[in-house]
Amino acid sequence: MALVEIRNVHKSFGEVEVLRGIDLAVEKGEIVTIIGRSGSGKSTLLRCINGLEQINGGEILVAGERVHSRSTDLRKLREHVGIVFQQFNLFPHMTVARNITLAPVLTGRVAKGDAARELALKVLAQVGLEEKIDAYPGQLSGGQQQRVAIARCLAMSPYLMLFDEVTSALDPELVGEVLKVMEDLATQGMTMILVTHEMNFARNVASKLVFMHAGMVHEEGRPADLFANPATPELANFISSVR
Amino acid sequence: MLQLNFNQLWRYQDEFLHGMSLTLLLTLVATLAGLAIGLAGAAAAGSRFAALRLFVRSYVEVIRNTPALIQLFLIFFVLPYAGLRLPPVYAAAAALSIYMGAYASEIIRGGLASIPRSQIEAGQCLGLTRWQVFRHVILPPALRNIYPSITSQIVLLLLGTSLASQVSAPELFHAAAFVESRTFRSFEVYAVVCAIYFTLVLAFRLAFAGIGRIAFRWPTGR
Amino acid sequence: MRGFTISDVLTMLAAVQWTATLVVLALAFGAPLALLLARMCTGRSRLARLLATGILQLVQGVPVLGLLMFFYFGMPVFLGIKVPALVSVGAAFTIFTAAFLGEIWRGGIQAVHVAQGEAAACLGLTRWQTFRHVIAPQAFRIALPATVGFLVQLIKNTSLASVVGFVELARAGQLASAATFQPLLSYACVAAIYFALCFPLTLWSRSLEDKLNGAR
Ligand SMILES: Nc1ncnc2c1ncn2[C@@H]1O[C@H](COP(=O)(O)OP(=O)(O)O)[C@@H](O)[C@H]1O
Ligand SMILES: [Mg+2]
Repeated sequence: MALVEIRNVHKSFGEVEVLRGIDLAVEKGEIVTIIGRSGSGKSTLLRCINGLEQINGGEILVAGERVHSRSTDLRKLREHVGIVFQQFNLFPHMTVARNITLAPVLTGRVAKGDAARELALKVLAQVGLEEKIDAYPGQLSGGQQQRVAIARCLAMSPYLMLFDEVTSALDPELVGEVLKVMEDLATQGMTMILVTHEMNFARNVASKLVFMHAGMVHEEGRPADLFANPATPELANFISSVR
Repeated sequence: MLQLNFNQLWRYQDEFLHGMSLTLLLTLVATLAGLAIGLAGAAAAGSRFAALRLFVRSYVEVIRNTPALIQLFLIFFVLPYAGLRLPPVYAAAAALSIYMGAYASEIIRGGLASIPRSQIEAGQCLGLTRWQVFRHVILPPALRNIYPSITSQIVLLLLGTSLASQVSAPELFHAAAFVESRTFRSFEVYAVVCAIYFTLVLAFRLAFAGIGRIAFRWPTGR
Repeated sequence: MRGFTISDVLTMLAAVQWTATLVVLALAFGAPLALLLARMCTGRSRLARLLATGILQLVQGVPVLGLLMFFYFGMPVFLGIKVPALVSVGAAFTIFTAAFLGEIWRGGIQAVHVAQGEAAACLGLTRWQTFRHVIAPQAFRIALPATVGFLVQLIKNTSLASVVGFVELARAGQLASAATFQPLLSYACVAAIYFALCFPLTLWSRSLEDKLNGAR
C-alpha cells in the first residue's frame, strides 16, 4: 500500500465545495508536486492530509492510518508528518534552537540540554544555518526563516513532509537557497508532497506532477510528459501562463 | 495671600506611611485577585456554554459602565443586609478586585485572541498537545501583547484605591483626612498626598518598563 | 424613616443634570486644552514638548480624588477668595479631561505624523496646512473611538464630586440611602442610571473601533 492514499475526498467550506472528489496515491520516497491556479484547493488538500481540516467525504490514509477517523490520535500522527507553510510560522519568542527543539523535547524524543542542542545543530547543518542557532526569527531573512522552519520539521524525523508554497513569500533572490534545501532532501529519499509555482523545480526534481483544477485532480503523470504534452487545454493554459 | 505651611505635616510621617502601606497592599491584593478573575473570565468568554459567556459579558459590561465608587458602596453598605458584614479594608479589597477583574478579563481575552491561528496550527502540526500549545506557543506572545494594557490598568488601580477612603479604610486619603483634622492645613495635606501618589506611579511605571524589557526580549515585527 | 419611593428616583434623575453639567464644563474647557497639549507634545519645540509631556504625566499620575481636593482646597488658597463648589470641581475635571484627552489625541496625531508628515512636506504645504488638512482629519478618525471611550470614564469619574458634597447623581444616591435606609435600592438605582448613560457610549465607541479596524 502507498504511504499516502487519498480516496474520493470531498471538502466544503459552507456552501462552497472546494475539493470535489480527489484521488491520489503517494508512494514512499516519491516527490509529488501539486500545481494549479490560486483557489483550486491545493492548500486545503495539504491541510486535510495532516488533519488540520475535516473532510466531508472519502478518506485519507497515511501509513495505513485513517486520518479522519475518530480513533486516530492526530497528535501522534503529526509527529511523523511535517508541514512547512508559506508564512514560515516560526515562534517569534523563541530562539532558533528552541523553535527546533521544542517539539522533540516536549514529545520526549530528546532530552533537554546538550542532546537537544546537538539535534538542533544537526538539522541546522542540513539547511546550512548552524551559525544562526541562537538568533531569534525576527533577526533572520525570509529565506533563513523558511530554512529554519524546514529544520524544525526535520528535527521530528518525519516520514512525510508537506510543503505549501514555501517560496512564495520570499524575495526572488532568496528563493534559490530554500529550493536547494528541498532538493537535498529529495536526493536523501524523503517523501514529499509540495505545492509550488516553481516550474523548474516541478520539472526537474519531482517524480510525479499533479495538476489541480476546480477541486479535482485534472491531470497527473511524469513531469516531463505533462509539460511536453498537456492533455487538456486547462493545463496547457496554466503552463503557458506561469512561464 | 499665599500662606503655605508644610512644616506641621512632618510630625505626621507615620500616618502617611501607614496610609501608603495600605494603599500598596490594596493595589497588590486587587491586582492578584483581579488577574485571577480575569484569567477565569477570559477562559469563560471562550466557553462552549452560552449561559456562562453571557454571565461573563454582563459582569464585564456592568462593572465597566458604572462608577467604582458606587460598586464600593453597594458592597460595603448592602452586604450587611445579607448578613455579611465586611470590615472596610476587606470590602474595599473585594470591590477593587471585582473592578480589576472586569478590565483584566477584557484585556486577557483580547491578548489571547490576538495570537494568529497560524501559530496555533504550527504548534499542532509539530505534535504538541493542546496544553503545550497554550503554554509554549500562545502564552508568551499573548503576555507580551497584554503587558502594556495590564500594567496601565494596575497603575489606574493604584490611583483607584483612593476610593477606599470613602468607606473609611485607612489608606492614604484617609490618613490625609486625619492629618487635616489635626492641622487644618487642607491644601498642603492633599498636595503632599498627590505628590506621594505621583511618586508611586512613577516608580510603578519604571519598574514595569524594566520588567518588560527583561521579560520580553525577542524582536518584534518581521 | 420613610420608604424608598418613586420620588427618590425622580430626585436622582434630576441630579443627572448636575452630572451632565460637570461633563459639559469639563469638555468645553478641557478639550481645547487637550488639543493644545497634544500639539505641544507632537510639535517641534523641545521645551513645549517637555512641558506638555510633564503636565500629562503629572495629572495622569494623581488620583481624581486628589485633583478634586487640590482644587477644592487650593483655589481659595491661591485666589484668596471662596469659590463655589461648581467652579473648583469643574476646574478639577477640566484638568482631568485635558490630560487624558490630550494623551489620546497625542497618540492619534503621532500615528499619522510619521507616515504622512513627510509626504505632505513634499507637497509644499506649510506646517499649519499640513496639520489642518492632512494630519488632523486622519488623527481625528483614529482617536475617535478612544475619545468616546473617555467620555465613559469622565461620566463615571464625576461621581467623585460627591466626596466634596457637590450634589450630582452619586451624591443624590447617598442622600436617598441615608434618608430611606435603603442602600440596596438607592445605589442599584444610581448604578442603573450610570449604566444607562455609559453603556450606549461604550457600544458606540466599540462600533467606531470596529469600523476603523475594518477600514485599515
Ligand atoms: N477556512 C476557509 N474558510 C472558507 N473558505 C476557505 C477556507 N480556506 C480556503 N477557503 C476557500 O477554498 C478555496 C481553495 O482555497 P485553497 O485551498 O487555499 O486554494 P489554493 O491553495 O489552491 O490557492 C478558495 O476559494 C478559498 O477561498
Ligand atoms: Mg494556497
